[in-house]
Amino acid sequence: MKNNTMKKVILGMLLPLAVIAAWFYVTTYGSIPSGILPSISKVSGAFKTMISTGQLQEDLIVSISRVLKGYAFSAFFGILLGSLMGMSKNIKLLFQPVVTIIRQIPMIAWIPLIILWCGIGEMSKVVIIVLAAFFPILVNTESGMESTPQGYIEVARLYKLNAWKTFTSVYLPNALPNILVGLKLGLGVSWMAVVAAELIAATTGIGYRMSNARSMMQSDVVIVCMIVVGLMGVLMDKGIGIIFDMITPWNRAEKSN
Amino acid sequence: MGIKKEADNKYIINIKNLNKQFIVDKQPIDILKNINLQIKKGEFITIVGHSGCGKSTLLKIMCGLVDYENGIVERNGHAVVGPGPRCGMVFQDHRLLPWLKIKDNVGFGLRDLPKAEREEKVEKHLEMVGLKGFENSYPKQLSGGMAQRAAIARGLANNPTILLLDEPFGALDALTRIQMQQEILRIHQAEGTTMVMVTHDIDEAIYLGDRIVVMSARPGEIKEIIKTDSIESKKRGSTGFAAYKKRIYNYFFEDAKDLMDNMEYAN
Repeated sequence: MKNNTMKKVILGMLLPLAVIAAWFYVTTYGSIPSGILPSISKVSGAFKTMISTGQLQEDLIVSISRVLKGYAFSAFFGILLGSLMGMSKNIKLLFQPVVTIIRQIPMIAWIPLIILWCGIGEMSKVVIIVLAAFFPILVNTESGMESTPQGYIEVARLYKLNAWKTFTSVYLPNALPNILVGLKLGLGVSWMAVVAAELIAATTGIGYRMSNARSMMQSDVVIVCMIVVGLMGVLMDKGIGIIFDMITPWNRAEKSN
Repeated sequence: MGIKKEADNKYIINIKNLNKQFIVDKQPIDILKNINLQIKKGEFITIVGHSGCGKSTLLKIMCGLVDYENGIVERNGHAVVGPGPRCGMVFQDHRLLPWLKIKDNVGFGLRDLPKAEREEKVEKHLEMVGLKGFENSYPKQLSGGMAQRAAIARGLANNPTILLLDEPFGALDALTRIQMQQEILRIHQAEGTTMVMVTHDIDEAIYLGDRIVVMSARPGEIKEIIKTDSIESKKRGSTGFAAYKKRIYNYFFEDAKDLMDNMEYAN
């Protein structure tokens, strides 16, 4: 067990360390201009400055609050419509064609239209996040609801549960693992969507910071932002995983022999 | 009123001239044909027949999960219009909800009771089936036999007048199955609950049934109702037991050419 963890850590660290070593080597002994690839010390310097001026925190808070707004909306309506579609054939027939078509449009392709309609303010970012996160949540919720075994539904009928009780005590817990998958995917794409939207049209946020730094040739700031975006994505993903482990204890229960 | 009351108490289940059809590819298929069956309080009835002879459908009609078009089906003296709390059911796949602890699964039909009363009933029934100490386990932590015990506890928890068992031990290994047969018999004697069990295991049908309902396949018809001797039928090696077995086998000889396959299946 302990050996396995060691192995996991060592193998997992191998590539990042190699990249850092190569980066260090190229910027120290190579002849790449620092405007294209800054040295590690320059990037960490930029990181410290951005933290101490509070700029990084400010950008992150702006971007995260946009994600939370759009994500909360997507999660609520995605689970709602996904549940209805998963439990009722008629509702599914009504929405399925539209959902299937809209899903095929990449999130990036919505940006021009959304900017025309909503401008480049807060609203446009939130709408883009909603468009990105809504469908993975919807589709996974729906498939989780549909996978509810007929036998469990029969048990609910046997004990005369009303529609709401049947939903909360049979369909919903059965679909939870799938809903988790949808929420994880949704959160991932929300974060990507907000950065993409801010890159193209924004005056605040971590994406805007990147785009602004690029136009001023501050490659160190661009790299800091990219690393932070990546780490934030990982943190969000882990966080939501931990929350779900807590609310689905039966999945963790181990077989006792 | 007084006369009706008397009639109420006579039979737990009263089925008269029941027919049931399913529509398959727009063609009506006879599933059950002219079923007549009266079950008295405290009886243990076993229903034996081929897979697909409609015996599970009959059970589901009794508990109100499947509706019927014509004939009379009464439970506790009233026409069956849907499931009710006085009728418990145990399925072959235990159907415990994987997200509920064992105590919550057993108490699933008791949600309207006050907490203390519910807990007391759950505890009592867990003890009855020998699962004390597993209150906080999840279904997937239990073996097949234990899960089926929990399902029986759930079926009995709200004191039904009748417990319907749909091949409850069909998925268990042979040793566990025999043990469970003894358990259900003990519970039946201790609680006095009327029980109806569908099975394709002829030995099980003889061992458990006060009366054995032998059904033919397609359409499902009752061929014979065999009343067993309560002493002979409880001794698996006795000549009486063998005689019942032979008598039941004969129906399936007559019934199906592929008897050997079915016998293997039954065992």
